[in-house]
Amino acid sequence: MTSVDERVLAAQPPAPANTRPRRRRGKPLSPLLVAFVLVPFAVESIWVFWPALQGFWFSLTRWDGLEPPTYIGFDNYAELAGDATFRGALINTVLWLVLFGGLSVIGGFGMALILQRERRGVGFYRAALFTPVVFSLVVTALVWRVFYQPDGVADELLRAVGLEHLIRPWLADPETALYAVILPALWRQIGYVMVLYLAGLKAIDPALHEAAKMDGANNWQRLRNVTIPQLKGVNAVVLSVIVIDSLRSFDIVWSLTKGGPYHSSELLSTYMYSTAFQSLRLGYASAIAVVIFVLALAVILGYLVRAFREDA
Amino acid sequence: MNDFDPSRRRFLGHVGLAGLGVLGAGSLVGCASSASSPSGSGNSAITLQSNLSSPQAKVAMEKIIENFNKQGKGAASLNTVASETFRTQLPTYLTSANPPDLYTWYAGSVANDYASKNLLLDVSDVWQGMADYPESLRTLSTDAAGKKVFVPMNNYWWGFFYRKSNFAKWGVQEPKNWAEFVTLCQTLQSKGVPPIGIGLGDTPWVASAWFDYLNIRINGAPFHRELLAGKQRFDDPKVKAVFTKWREVLPYFDPKGKAYPFQEATTALLAGKTGMFLIGTFFADAAPKDALGDLDFFRFPIIDPAVPLAEEAPTDGFFASAKSANPAGTKALLTYLSSVEAQEAYVAASAGIVLPANPKAKASDSPLVAKGKAMLESAQELTQFFNRDSSDALQPTADTALTKFIDKPDQIDAILREWQAGAEKVFKG
Repeated sequence: MTSVDERVLAAQPPAPANTRPRRRRGKPLSPLLVAFVLVPFAVESIWVFWPALQGFWFSLTRWDGLEPPTYIGFDNYAELAGDATFRGALINTVLWLVLFGGLSVIGGFGMALILQRERRGVGFYRAALFTPVVFSLVVTALVWRVFYQPDGVADELLRAVGLEHLIRPWLADPETALYAVILPALWRQIGYVMVLYLAGLKAIDPALHEAAKMDGANNWQRLRNVTIPQLKGVNAVVLSVIVIDSLRSFDIVWSLTKGGPYHSSELLSTYMYSTAFQSLRLGYASAIAVVIFVLALAVILGYLVRAFREDA
Repeated sequence: MNDFDPSRRRFLGHVGLAGLGVLGAGSLVGCASSASSPSGSGNSAITLQSNLSSPQAKVAMEKIIENFNKQGKGAASLNTVASETFRTQLPTYLTSANPPDLYTWYAGSVANDYASKNLLLDVSDVWQGMADYPESLRTLSTDAAGKKVFVPMNNYWWGFFYRKSNFAKWGVQEPKNWAEFVTLCQTLQSKGVPPIGIGLGDTPWVASAWFDYLNIRINGAPFHRELLAGKQRFDDPKVKAVFTKWREVLPYFDPKGKAYPFQEATTALLAGKTGMFLIGTFFADAAPKDALGDLDFFRFPIIDPAVPLAEEAPTDGFFASAKSANPAGTKALLTYLSSVEAQEAYVAASAGIVLPANPKAKASDSPLVAKGKAMLESAQELTQFFNRDSSDALQPTADTALTKFIDKPDQIDAILREWQAGAEKVFKG
């Protein structure tokens, strides 16, 4: 959740423009300050930067984890280009980003709007919607597996409303597996996004709404012209959270389908994992990891560039 | 002592969580790290790294190690690791500077693969005291260079399991050959029972048993081994013949079996919701004790009587690291583990239906075990299981191909082409 913290920091009001920067020429830096910069940097270098660089190096090798890696240039990437499973996983990841991301924003925002006003019992509903966030996704997966199993709750529900012709092995049918996995992920994410939006809605100055009301704006107009523009800062937080959560989605898919049946619910993350630790093709898996990294970087950089341009 | 404990498989998810950072790239490096400083002394304590993490098996192993330590031939300690962690970490253990001495694992191509990279200790001395072990196990424990690298502990068998009371109720009997098997399926179907249970939900590897058996019944065990070693092609017409045969009984599979794991398929079988189930004896771990007396099995029906009879008998046991700091102590422990005393202690304490590798050791006393033992003894060849005869790396290619075939049998030509392409990538590395 570092991105949230960063946004919170970025949202701090800028320092007043008339204070002049203090000159510190000749004054030695405090050793404590230097330590605060260098120690975390050293730690990050060992546990983050170096492994990431190493990961890139491994992506240029063939490696089974046993014998030393052999350098093969960009062969892994060439193979990725022609790998149908990889292409499927890439499409699924984009689909996941759009569906999981889009629906959790819409759902979370909707819930926040409904539950923003203080009424009796509203705390209970907020807590109830947030509860799924508390469970680990692996536990969530176990619960949903029971829901989806043959003759499970999902099938019983369909039968009760006379739709038994729709019943199918939800997680074992390549047509439905991916969507059946998105649902529990959404179930969890909506509560989280709702909390972010609730905080945003609380921060809007009620005077703005009152003024709009005085001008004769109806509910819809106030939502469009007052609420949504005021939520710009929160939107940015939600967007980055969603993108990062989508790209690192792994646990729920792995626990429910392991990317199957026959790769139909495969995401880039699950494909990377199975290639690395089941097929023991660590070089090829590193190449997939690099692609995930580049995708994440592209999305985040794209966003940062836009954010800077708007600020300027 | 089976490799496919469900809870261990599920552990994959947790390992994945731990290993997967946002950026992914860093996580792969975890495998490369090697452990601690080397130790010098020649008679240091021996570490046995064990994946037998189910409660009964763990207690059994602890007891065995305790007994060994009492004998005063060395000091050993047991380190039990969850099976999935063990599997992914094994290469790291073996290649580290100061590895654990002894490991539980599989015989055959798995051990052979490590031996070819000079990672395993030559345990030929231990085998000198194992003269009465059968030839099949001796061959299985020998690497390509002729060294013994493995000491077997026990094995188990696969078969069509069914409930005696249900077969009596439905008025059907064990089939002897393929034609009788198909008739049996038709009879059960006509009685409204899905004849063949299967559980592919979380455990798609169960389908590999069907592939293994059809292939060893139609093309024979030598072809099967060559295929799994990459010396034959999956798009060969001989492999297609396997699927042509399989298609004859595909309509008799329980349609729900695609969605649930083998443990639930076991429950369905015991509840009489399916007729029979091709599975290994480890499924009994998930069966209530009172149902065990009602269980029986028959061997996979013979298809071509001219093909020498082979059965699947996955063998579990031990191999040692070539870099062990105390080879003499490790061999002393291996010698103890191959003894009647140790193996009987394991069989008595463990939950599954297993057969001790030592021919003098007594298996547990039940008609089912006697029948299983007799079936393996009458076989001319023993195979292990798909991933043990090939590699863990090839298993996902089989899972994809076989579950797709069960879903879309019409696409068999494309499926076999994809399988061959996938297998080539694995063999290429």
